[in-house]
Amino acid sequence: MNTIEEIGAPSRKRVLTIIIVTAFVFLLIRLYQLQLFYHVEFGKKSDENSVRTIIKEPVRGYMFDRNGRLVVDDGPAYSITVTPASFNSGTLPLFSSLVRMESPMIQERLDRGRIYSKFSPVRVKRDVDFKTLAAVEENLYQLPGVAYEIESKRIYPFQVRAPHLLGYCKEITDAQMLKAGSAYQQGDIIGSSGLEASYETFLRGEKGYEFISVNSKGQLVGALEGGLRDVPSKEGFDLNLSVDIGLQMLAESLMVNYRGALVALDPNDGGVLAMVSKPDFDPSLFSGVTSVEVWNQLNTDPDKPLFNRATMTRYPPGSTFKMLIAAAALQEGIIDEHYRITCTGAFRFGNKVFKDLHVHGSMNVVEAIQHSCNVFFYQLILKIGIDNLAKYGKRFGFGQPSGIDVGEETAGILPSTEYYNRVYGKGKWTQGYLVSLGVGQVVKKISPLQMARYAALLANGGTLLQPHAVNSILNKRTNRYDVIDHSEHSVGIDSSVMRLIREGMRRVVQEPGGTGGMARIPGIVSGGKTGTAENPHGADHAWYIGFAPFDHPKIAIAVMLENAGFGGTKAAPVAGKVMERYLFGDLPPKPNSRPHAIALNDSTHQSTISRKQ
Amino acid sequence: MLHYMKEYFDFRAFFICVLLVIIGLLSIYSATFDINNAANFYRQAIWAALGFILMLVTAFIPLRTLQRLSFAFYFFTLAVLVIVLVVGSTVKGSKSWFGIGGIGGQPSEFAKIATVLAFAAYLARTNVSLSQVKHLIITLCIFAVPMFLILAEPDLGTTIVFFATLLPLLYWAGVSNFILVAILVPILVAVGALFGTAQFIIASVLGASLLYLFRVNRFAVAVAFGIALAVGLSVQIVYEHMHLYQQKRITTFLNPESDPLGAGYNVVQSKIAIGSGGLTGKGFLRGTQTQLNYIPEQWTDFIFCVQGEEFGFLGASLVLCLFGALSLHGLRVATMSKNKFGSLSAIGITGILTAHTIINTGMAMGIMPVIGLPLPFMSYGGSALIANMMMVGLLMNFYANRKEY
Repeated sequence: MNTIEEIGAPSRKRVLTIIIVTAFVFLLIRLYQLQLFYHVEFGKKSDENSVRTIIKEPVRGYMFDRNGRLVVDDGPAYSITVTPASFNSGTLPLFSSLVRMESPMIQERLDRGRIYSKFSPVRVKRDVDFKTLAAVEENLYQLPGVAYEIESKRIYPFQVRAPHLLGYCKEITDAQMLKAGSAYQQGDIIGSSGLEASYETFLRGEKGYEFISVNSKGQLVGALEGGLRDVPSKEGFDLNLSVDIGLQMLAESLMVNYRGALVALDPNDGGVLAMVSKPDFDPSLFSGVTSVEVWNQLNTDPDKPLFNRATMTRYPPGSTFKMLIAAAALQEGIIDEHYRITCTGAFRFGNKVFKDLHVHGSMNVVEAIQHSCNVFFYQLILKIGIDNLAKYGKRFGFGQPSGIDVGEETAGILPSTEYYNRVYGKGKWTQGYLVSLGVGQVVKKISPLQMARYAALLANGGTLLQPHAVNSILNKRTNRYDVIDHSEHSVGIDSSVMRLIREGMRRVVQEPGGTGGMARIPGIVSGGKTGTAENPHGADHAWYIGFAPFDHPKIAIAVMLENAGFGGTKAAPVAGKVMERYLFGDLPPKPNSRPHAIALNDSTHQSTISRKQ
Repeated sequence: MLHYMKEYFDFRAFFICVLLVIIGLLSIYSATFDINNAANFYRQAIWAALGFILMLVTAFIPLRTLQRLSFAFYFFTLAVLVIVLVVGSTVKGSKSWFGIGGIGGQPSEFAKIATVLAFAAYLARTNVSLSQVKHLIITLCIFAVPMFLILAEPDLGTTIVFFATLLPLLYWAGVSNFILVAILVPILVAVGALFGTAQFIIASVLGASLLYLFRVNRFAVAVAFGIALAVGLSVQIVYEHMHLYQQKRITTFLNPESDPLGAGYNVVQSKIAIGSGGLTGKGFLRGTQTQLNYIPEQWTDFIFCVQGEEFGFLGASLVLCLFGALSLHGLRVATMSKNKFGSLSAIGITGILTAHTIINTGMAMGIMPVIGLPLPFMSYGGSALIANMMMVGLLMNFYANRKEY
């Protein structure tokens, strides 16, 4: 062995010094690397660890009627959420029993949510009752990743239904999500029909964000930086509707036993005063959570309650079409007010006989409208021809969408030379095909909404209006009302012509022998026209269009009742009562004290209404 | 006056120690701030006060008395270690806790000091020389007995510290390079064996080369290499019989990111804590990793993260520099000390403190294995704090008596 050196030889001190210095320099380099070189990366990881973003749902915009009454309100709804990343699947049985929901269903929701982000909370159950909420809250400490959030849901203070007009909100579908983009997340509520859908971007508001700290167990510790970085949610804009909620409720009650539609417009600006489609459903079924059973029931009901008959059905207009033909003939100078035809009760064209209900004798155009003389119009349509009909029909808004803001609508069908060529083939149809058109039968297809628009233009003397249910929007950012512009244009009918047509309509209601006497309003002169759409599949559909008061109309209306028979007996009284109510007004109905009354059956609804009358 | 005091009072060791203890208390306060564990802070503060007194007492015990008491102290701690093995309570998988009533501690913390003192006291005898094989074997035995008792608890970390203390001690005592290499090579081969067969073979070849390079004679080389191979092979067998948590810690050390939610969790979170601290830190009591308890039992082995996260690079590098300065100061005391006992003890103490510091901070920064070793003066724990402060007291003592022969 080597000779033992003296303890602490200088050379050995040097070596130990070098070892110590090297070791600490290494540690410092590592510290530098972590804290200054990878600082950003680790900072981000630290935030991901401990910062959770809570989305604050905005309050959805309210809807007020034309008299400032709150029609669609917004209230809190509590949803139970689960953050997949922090959820402990061992607690699934407990959680499942607390929220009373099957484990596989919860698991499926979590798996779907994980696709987007395992760090964002998934709404597992919406709109839970207070009992469930309390049970979950009590057990939060043993349910990591579980939380609840406050969302909003629609509340209808009046027992108004108007589901097709107001629309409803539903959880966003995958297809809607693809279209809408980043503003929405899985489980968000989105306006899915009616005004809720049309004005979604205004009503929605903006989501807020709250940043909170969570500890390693995912439990809430407190607001991050005292909430300084939080972004508050922004309320949605309110809609001011042209609708009169009292009128709407009355109209709904009058229509309760029918399948059909009613549209009442303000003939001065095109505002929708009431819009009913029956059968319908209670929109509060869609507030909060919509059960699959309810949805399936509505969707498979043979009466199609989800279908908006006011804008989507297409029926022949029947005799209500006579004013258009008369206006076209007078405006084109084909006839004048003195032109007369003698009605013999039938009209022979070729080898076909077209019948009338009565033998009217000698008729001028005003009388022909008053008595709804078919023979007069069978002959008149042949005089003006298909091209004139198409020209004026188009001016009157038929065969095209009206541009209303309540969602889907049909364009209807307006016959024209091209249309007949397409359907029957060029040269394969004759003038005889036109004769029925004179009384609004066969192929002419018109929606109740188009008909109401037609009534409005007859009321106001020839201005075609764009119907709309929203007059203005309260912009919450500027706190000012943004008034919405709507198109209107003249149909190009001379006032002298209009005067004759309107006089015919006045006589329909006011004079003996008119077909619309049942629409008469006590003390007020009105004009109107009945119609019966022949139905090869069953009973005829009843039409009535009208307006009042006659001189300065404030309301124009179209009523269509499916399979109800004659327009004069079924549709006219409904229209008359609605107009009467609107013109005389009544006390505003009181808000309903039961905001969540789920009333599928119409009888409870009706009884409430009739009590108020 | 001050000059006179400087002669006999080791201001440097004293102030470094006090500063580190204060930073440690602040860190424990922060780490246990929001989880109703404030009791830990107060308990640690009381121990710090006790440690402070014991440090000063140790600093002023006459050197000769210390030297004479060394063996008694050594055998006493050996006896306690045996008792602990029999009746001790198990903490975190190790039978290392010894308590009577409410008072208890980890005897292994004091065994380290006792072993160093006994080693130094034995070598300080005039007739003892490491060139004699008999004396060399006795000195090795002084280390081996407590080491095996502690390994049996089992406390792998403390065992490693014993090694890390023994090597500089032997080196300082002037043992030949061959002996050092002969002790190092089995460790090298053992570590290689942990990684796998290929690494085992490479380590063996490397070890054989080292032994040959520093050879005295071929017979010694052969014996040393034989021992190394035996150690390497037995490591694999021991590994099979290791506690699961220790196996996991070793596999996690080899690849900490492999199990970020399990065994590697501490290291991943610790690195995030330190890394996110940046230059100036998130501020006292404002570290999210620390305050939201992302690092389990941070106040024990991962206390360094608190400084890293809340005081940033400035704070953490200050801590490292203080430790480095203390290590270099210990080396200086050993150099200045004119008596063998003081000089060797100073080296041993420096070895213990340095090994703890490097392994602990390296572990927190993810460059050392996770082997439950506390950070001196900082980690929560009464025995360790008092033992560490007494070690500083010893350094102060050796400094004051450095001119004594």
